[in-house]
Amino acid sequence: MSIFSPLVLHQPASISEAVALLAAGGRDCAPLAGGTWIMRAPIRHEAPPPVFVSLSKISALSAIAISEERVELGAAVTHAALAEAVAGYPDLQVLAEAAGRSANPAIRATATIGGNLCTTSFPAADLLPALLSLDAEVDLARSQGRERLSLEVFLERRAALVPGWLLTRVVVPREAGRSAHARLPLRKAGDYPVAIVSVAIRLCERDRVTKACVAIGAVETVARRWRSLEAVLLGEPVDPERAGAAAERLLYEITGREGIEAPGWYRVHVLPSLVRRAMAGIAESLSSGNSRPCRSP
Amino acid sequence: MPLALTVNGEVRLSNAGPMTPLLDILREEFQLTGAKPVCREGFCGACMVLRDGRPILSCLTPAGLVEGSDICTIEGLSPGGTLTPLQDALESHDAVQCGMCFPGMVITLTHALRRTHDLTDAEVRQALVGNICRCTGYERIVAAALAIAAAHGPEAARDG
Amino acid sequence: MVDPADTVMNFRRRDARDKLTGRTRFTIDRFPAGLLHGAVLRAGVASGILRKLDVSRAATMPGVRAVVTAGDAPGRIGIGIADHPLFVVDRVRYHGEPLAAIAADTFDQAQAALAAIVFDIAPMPAVLDMEAALAAEAPLVHPDWRSYEVLFAGGARGGNVAWEATAVRGDVDAAFARPDVTIVDSAFRVGRQNHVAFEPRAAIAAFEDGRLHIETSTQVPWTVRNGTARLLGIRASAVRVTVPPVGGGFGLKFDLAIEPFAALLARKSGRPVRLVNSREEEMLTCLFRENAEIRIRSAVTKAGEILGREAVVLMDCGAYGGEQIFLTTMTAHTLGGNYRVGATRLVSRAIYTNTAPNGAFRACNGVYNTFALERHTDEIAAAIGMDPLAFRRRNVLGDGALGATGQIFEGDVLGPMLDRMAELRADAPDLVPGDDGRLYGRATTVGTWFVFVGPSAATVNMNADGSATLVTSGVEIGSGSTMQALPQIVAGVLGIRPDDVVVRSADTDAAGYDVGVGGGRTTVSLGAASLKAATEVRGKLLAVAAAMMDVAPDDLVMRDGRIERPGANRYGYSIAEVAARAQALQGPVAGTGAFTGQGVKAMVGCAAGHFLDAIDIPVFAVHDCDVAVDRETGHVEVLGYRVVQDVGRALNPSAVGGQIQGGVVQGLGYALHEDVTIGSDGCVRQSGFETYRLPLAGDVVPVAISLYEGAPSSGPLGTKGAGEVPILNVGATVACAVANATGLRVQELPLTPPRVLERLLGRKPDLAFPHIAERWADNLLHPHGQSTGSGDGG
Ligand SMILES: Cc1cc2nc3c(=O)[nH]c(=O)nc-3n(C[C@H](O)[C@H](O)[C@H](O)COP(=O)(O)OP(=O)(O)OC[C@H]3O[C@@H](n4cnc5c(N)ncnc54)[C@H](O)[C@@H]3O)c2cc1C
Ligand code: FES
Ligand code: FES
Repeated sequence: MSIFSPLVLHQPASISEAVALLAAGGRDCAPLAGGTWIMRAPIRHEAPPPVFVSLSKISALSAIAISEERVELGAAVTHAALAEAVAGYPDLQVLAEAAGRSANPAIRATATIGGNLCTTSFPAADLLPALLSLDAEVDLARSQGRERLSLEVFLERRAALVPGWLLTRVVVPREAGRSAHARLPLRKAGDYPVAIVSVAIRLCERDRVTKACVAIGAVETVARRWRSLEAVLLGEPVDPERAGAAAERLLYEITGREGIEAPGWYRVHVLPSLVRRAMAGIAESLSSGNSRPCRSP
Repeated sequence: MPLALTVNGEVRLSNAGPMTPLLDILREEFQLTGAKPVCREGFCGACMVLRDGRPILSCLTPAGLVEGSDICTIEGLSPGGTLTPLQDALESHDAVQCGMCFPGMVITLTHALRRTHDLTDAEVRQALVGNICRCTGYERIVAAALAIAAAHGPEAARDG
Repeated sequence: MVDPADTVMNFRRRDARDKLTGRTRFTIDRFPAGLLHGAVLRAGVASGILRKLDVSRAATMPGVRAVVTAGDAPGRIGIGIADHPLFVVDRVRYHGEPLAAIAADTFDQAQAALAAIVFDIAPMPAVLDMEAALAAEAPLVHPDWRSYEVLFAGGARGGNVAWEATAVRGDVDAAFARPDVTIVDSAFRVGRQNHVAFEPRAAIAAFEDGRLHIETSTQVPWTVRNGTARLLGIRASAVRVTVPPVGGGFGLKFDLAIEPFAALLARKSGRPVRLVNSREEEMLTCLFRENAEIRIRSAVTKAGEILGREAVVLMDCGAYGGEQIFLTTMTAHTLGGNYRVGATRLVSRAIYTNTAPNGAFRACNGVYNTFALERHTDEIAAAIGMDPLAFRRRNVLGDGALGATGQIFEGDVLGPMLDRMAELRADAPDLVPGDDGRLYGRATTVGTWFVFVGPSAATVNMNADGSATLVTSGVEIGSGSTMQALPQIVAGVLGIRPDDVVVRSADTDAAGYDVGVGGGRTTVSLGAASLKAATEVRGKLLAVAAAMMDVAPDDLVMRDGRIERPGANRYGYSIAEVAARAQALQGPVAGTGAFTGQGVKAMVGCAAGHFLDAIDIPVFAVHDCDVAVDRETGHVEVLGYRVVQDVGRALNPSAVGGQIQGGVVQGLGYALHEDVTIGSDGCVRQSGFETYRLPLAGDVVPVAISLYEGAPSSGPLGTKGAGEVPILNVGATVACAVANATGLRVQELPLTPPRVLERLLGRKPDLAFPHIAERWADNLLHPHGQSTGSGDGG
């Protein structure tokens, strides 16, 4: 009936069971989270591996814990669950927008954080730049043990990791005061963004930026931090126009990815405008609420 | 071991493998052809069914993951052919053209109306980001949903 | 006679309930017992020589019941020229061209067997666009073009020019040479558009009692019947075609598609075979709306009179001529429409390229020619310093105006429609540009389309219970014509309720020949045939009733299910009583009707290579919209949209409104989102919904609609087709509005954000077409009027 019918599906109830299965399966085996990437293998003319290990029965992977210091997200938390959980926290706004505006409602209710972070060949993942801007870390489990990596390091290594690992958790330190996510689909919504700018900042008492994290997504093959722009924002007030102008001057550093939906130059050219929009979102959040950095809703 | 799926209140067995898309089992084994394969990649929504009351894309759902869940297809929404208030509104708004998208449209809007009774125009359009219609230009679908939201409130929508 | 008012109502379509509850069985939903599954192997290069094709191993694979290749279907088909074989014979002409087809017990087995076919294709140089195809020394897509059978004489042909049609009226050179004219020269280009009918092309073929039965998702059952028979080498009468509800057509299904593959496999296996295109196959090989390139020049006086006009329209037909051969005809009526023009000369050329064949799509040819003409019109108005709306009012076609082929238009229609649009706009809230930094603009455009009349047949059987059965070859493709307009017409004539008219779904064994559902012709052609058939039944019933009541038939009325004498006491009988009596006395009552176009005259010598020299029933449209353009990202948002449409008479205003909303939104897709590009390998790059962006609910607006009734029409009860024309001037209107908002010379569609931004940034120069000769006449294979039908143009 389909290329999927002969495949094996394991549905373990614990992380240890899952990593044991993954270790045993090696290259012939992969985790199955929401399946929204995996089930499109025929569309991409890819052959799926013969064995899948489902994460859906492992309750620990769907846990969300939000404290003053950090947010801990199980890898199988869906976009919809994430968006709902972080709604209203000004510092986590970037996550709420990334998780709440990507794809479409049915996909958001199914696709997971882990799937978004582990799909190596997907340049337009919304959660990547959002979590990069928040300095997130990820926990990897293997049958031999666990390991915590910064998201940046994980992204560098993920394609080369020896099979058998499972991303179990994402840990977001709550060090930002405000954040925002500016994504640009070609329609109003529903398609992959052609460019993304995620910004998280911290302000001192005199409303100067004391910490700035900017990440771009969809523009290059993998999302990354835009450190030269971060440096320019430091010590300045939140000023969307100036931030946009600064981004404009730094565009030469970025080479856009050619794609069917948009050429590389386009992805780069819209970045200053997305920086401005993200900063405007932050400015608005500052003026509408408590002007001091706050952590609770 | 065959898969045991609860579809429209009945337990049905399938010999397909657990990674088989639910859509194919519904259509080809159970002859429930209301859900349509249109894009098979999550963009169009024509294949939607309810899993424990929430819309899922049956083209992207391995059947093995929904054992133990209640699956309700478009056929199960209106047993005996009685229209729900939403379907009734879509009919009276003369919204239907070729009809291929409507099973999914009805599934999405049924859920959206159950969740929030006072849907706004913008919310209806957001709810429909994953439901494409090639024929109608959407407006009558949006109008029908808003009419239900306005006229019946939460109660009607719950059945609807 | 029948009072047309009796046929006007917002009758609800009877198929809505089943469609809403998932019970409708489209072709893709049918899985008859004993079914085999078919699959087609396609070439992965754009051009090449097939050196080897070995299916022997595939034929022995598990579950395989039949394998067919070119040897099984040697014939060629086409429109105008028989240039299209079913399978690659020796030459691959496009990426995706079928090499072989297989039927197996399961779809997976069929797929596995496809992979076991061994073949070798030696790649050859390919021409992937019209510029390459028209270059000197370009490789020929059809080196043997001279040997093809010509099915319709008159078009010039030669090399990569599949067909050339010209329309010439008056002395254009003299108009351009006048000292008092401004000459405006414009160039335009549009991409392809995919129909994305939600139901892909699908067919189930089976041999029953020695005849082939094809159940298929088509708009043209008779074309499928005749074309499949030709390819299989069997008599057309040995093929029966039936059509379940069709999940969207839009022209995609206006041609033979996958039916012959299913038929061949069924013949070879002796089993029913189901063949359904995957979405990817639909995306890569649908018979797209063709890409086109247009150059148009006009000589206009300061006062705004258009003294002369010339244009070259290049239409990419892809690897085979198909519908584009016919559509070259349309340029004279679309680009040559809208305005009074002094002297005119137009050439439209269908060009072969090594790309997937193009086909028909709602308001074929009209959408881009209207885009070109309306943008050109705005460029003229700017050049002579006249308000574009005033220029249009001055020049739109009116009573007695001459068309490009010399046909004489009747009635003032576009002028009053422009007035109606002014009223519609006055009702709309004024556009207030926000402080969002976007650029705001609006535009009003006009468009000319037509009803594709042509043969239709209908039978009405009067049943003794007072109901009637309407039998036609009309297909329900979603537009509702067979659910609403047709039963309304029959019911109106017979004085019964439309619910009491059963409409038989299309079956070539049951009803007479029909051109097909498309071209806005269902209500007109099938409607006219149905009207005649019903009128015959009415006459017979009245005669019987008159005898029963001993009065003259003229003294009776048919209404509310009764035949009675006018007057308060309602003396008479129910129609059921009369029908039962008639049946007992003389046998069941039936009527038949037939219709075809009346053939409006053109001027002798104006049109060459045209399939239709004049249009029987013109249909006009006036559109207006407001847009906002984001100058940072190039996004265009449509803020408001208004349509005044010439409908003749709207039998079901609600249904017409639904067609307009849907057509406009499809047009917004064409104008803004739906991009088809072809890679260097000759393959269409948008293979699915991820990259082919259809408008979503959030991208569209409710269209304000005004139906313009009363324009002359030879359609039944004064109707015109209403389903095709709504998409006609959407691209034009959005393009003109974007040009007005930005001051840019908008020359291309779709206006995707990257394309708009590129122009806003001045990074893209104006279009130049090296393959369109400066002198109009140099673009022709033969001077106008000297071409022959024998195809010796090369
Ligand atoms: C219609 C549509 C629209 C979309 N639009 C957007 C959009 O706008 N923005 C966006 O960001 N994304 C978008 N997506 C992509 C979507 O977000 C991804 O498909 C999704 O994030 C993948 O998550 P999943 O849980 O479904 O992953 P799966 O399909 O289950 O898995 C994806 C990959 O990740 C691996 N994997 C999953 N979980 C883990 C884990 N915990 N540890 C190790 N490996 C793991 C799997 O083995 C597989 O290789 C869209 C998808 C669709 C279908
Ligand atoms: S078929 Fe499942 S979303 Fe389109
Ligand atoms: S009615 Fe045809 S796709 Fe919606």
